[in-house]
Amino acid sequence: MNASLTRIGAIVVKEFKHLIRDPRILLAVLVTPIMQLLLFAYAISFDVRDLSTVVVDQDQTPASRTYLQSYTSSGFFKVVGSVDSVDAIDAVFQSSRARVAVVVPAGFQEAVDRGDKAQVAVYVDGGDPNSARIGQGYAVALNQVAGQKITATWAARQGLDLSQAGRLDVRVRTWYNPDRSSSIFLIPGLVVVIIMIVTVQQTAVTLVRERALGTQEQMTISPLRKVELMVGKLLPWTILAFVDVVLITLMGLTMFEVPLRGSVLVLAVSAALFIFASLGLGLIVSAISPTLETANLIAMMLAFLPAFLLSGFAFPLDSIPLPLQWLSYLFPARHMVDISRAVFLKGAGFAEVSGPLGMLAVYAVVVLALATVLYGKRAR
Amino acid sequence: MSEALTGSPVNPDAAVSVRGLRKVFGKFAAVDGIDFDVRRGEVFGFLGPNGSGKTTTIRMLTSSITPTSGTISVLGEDAVKHPDRAKLRLGYMSQKFSLFEDLTVDENLRFYGGVYDLTAEQFAERRAYVLRMAGLEGRESELTRNLSVGWRQRLALGTATLHSPEIVFLDEPTSGVDPTARRRFWDLLYDLASNGVTLFVTTHYMDEAANCSRLAFMYRGRIIADGPPREIRESLLTERILDVSTGDADRSLTWLESADGVHEAYLSGASVHAVVEAGLSPETLTARLVAAGFADARVVPVDPTLEDVFVNLVSQQRGA
Ligand SMILES: Nc1ncnc2c1ncn2[C@@H]1O[C@H](COP(=O)(O)OP(=O)(O)OP(=O)(O)O)[C@@H](O)[C@H]1O
Ligand SMILES: [Mg+2]
Repeated sequence: MNASLTRIGAIVVKEFKHLIRDPRILLAVLVTPIMQLLLFAYAISFDVRDLSTVVVDQDQTPASRTYLQSYTSSGFFKVVGSVDSVDAIDAVFQSSRARVAVVVPAGFQEAVDRGDKAQVAVYVDGGDPNSARIGQGYAVALNQVAGQKITATWAARQGLDLSQAGRLDVRVRTWYNPDRSSSIFLIPGLVVVIIMIVTVQQTAVTLVRERALGTQEQMTISPLRKVELMVGKLLPWTILAFVDVVLITLMGLTMFEVPLRGSVLVLAVSAALFIFASLGLGLIVSAISPTLETANLIAMMLAFLPAFLLSGFAFPLDSIPLPLQWLSYLFPARHMVDISRAVFLKGAGFAEVSGPLGMLAVYAVVVLALATVLYGKRAR
Repeated sequence: MSEALTGSPVNPDAAVSVRGLRKVFGKFAAVDGIDFDVRRGEVFGFLGPNGSGKTTTIRMLTSSITPTSGTISVLGEDAVKHPDRAKLRLGYMSQKFSLFEDLTVDENLRFYGGVYDLTAEQFAERRAYVLRMAGLEGRESELTRNLSVGWRQRLALGTATLHSPEIVFLDEPTSGVDPTARRRFWDLLYDLASNGVTLFVTTHYMDEAANCSRLAFMYRGRIIADGPPREIRESLLTERILDVSTGDADRSLTWLESADGVHEAYLSGASVHAVVEAGLSPETLTARLVAAGFADARVVPVDPTLEDVFVNLVSQQRGA
């Protein structure tokens, strides 16, 4: 008995029929991601808009005042007051009066007038890492600081520049995220998270359900081979996951003006590998779970937690404890987030993403092989 | 009969031949060393109370689980060493309804047509046959979920035989089906049998057992009797079965259970069946019943039904 396209085709058709008959699944797979995208993207940028901020104006010139005024009008920050010295910022952070402090040092106006790089320091309170709100703001701050020509002065804390939001003509360029919209940074990662959740969650229950219904036994005694069943189960979900990728990408490109600087091909190839890896994870869960509840629970832990916390999509991975950083390498999401950001924002090609791409490829092969083996084991 | 088979090699000419078959779950032996042969073309009835190991046996015969020990030959192929070889030639209708309920009649057939790799012509022909046989012509696009139990079972049988198997395993195919539908279902089974298909059927219904050409009784993982229905019935001839009807079956049952000369008593329909020693005549028992307060007691001797045999076999086992 060789692998038969008829048999694989029969499974694929059947899987699609199940989907058509159960609108809840289609809803979960096609509408939920859109909702998630809108929710996350808006919720996150809203958070950033509300960051409480104090200002320290050591220059006291029209230029510095105009510059600081730009914080108020930017919408990202809520200026709650001003303090006299850099030393006073500590107390402000400790009392949680503000999460951000902007310091304009003396000589700002002169530098601007000369056309030099004007120095500004922005301090972000990193002392509350558990607060998602600050964490996200922090991530944005980190990102925005990358490539800036304005230098941060306090080594222990991170600098953030927003001069472009005002009318100052300081030459500042942020490489990956020039208009400082957090959605632009987040959406390439969000695509990954959403795909991971959809694929793992949905495939996790598919084999368990067939086992519970008794249809698996009927297939076991048929000439259908394990590999054919696996491939047949994977194909429809691969297609749906791709539809999700395209959907979210298009929404990102149009509604959130996320740039796609790299090639679509690199993105597609990586997405395919990532989708296989995630589906494989789901199938493993499905093969080893005794009940639907268990499958859902494990899928949740396996998809949600690593996807959210260990993928680096919102929380910078170098700020989490070292063991967790190692753990993050065990899940495909982290590699895909790296690739996605590199392709979307930096225009990376195959050469630049070869590292994480290789990881994904190995991951996909291992996970799918394991799923097939484990599926056979269960039947005994 | 099973004693004669024990230790002998499997018979490759039989449709099914089983020697020393065991399946242990943890410490519990669900099937505890059974031997039997099913001849080709036979309607083989596999009987036994709940949990006696019938389904477990069928699952080993269809290679859906592997035995703990023992040998199985199905259609001449070793089902343990080469579970794939007989796959195209056997059909299986499981105890649980296992068609896809969210697919239509036609979609289910099409799925299994694909799984068994039927050509377009083969499929068209078999599909037409199955629809006709199951009486589902014109209902092809109905969701399986919406079919009543009798139709479902016929469709399940049709699906299990779509690829024209030489042997079909049916695990309690008529449980929960009304008597008329059961009758119809057995007509279909006879049709199959008359075309030379071997049938391996488990059932709880004794009237169905009488339809089989040979029977095996399972009890706690062992086969406690096997042979043609008539032979099994006759094996009880040393005892006599009396049908006792009184106004109050429950009370008379209690009385009979402790009465002298009565080996066994159990409800059978509206009356009570008593297995009594050969010397106890119906007249004597009637007199004793009347004396005990059952004024309108009627006692008539009956031919042992398979149910009688079965209850009796089980009680012997319990006593042993
Ligand atoms: N996978 C399993 N793991 C553990 N025990 C099992 C398993 N399958 C069956 N059993 C046990 O083996 C015994 C025999 O079960 P089986 O299903 O073969 O009985 P059966 O004769 O088909 O009963 P029924 O008439 O209720 O269908 C039961 O006690 C059952 O609980
Ligand atoms: Mg059973």
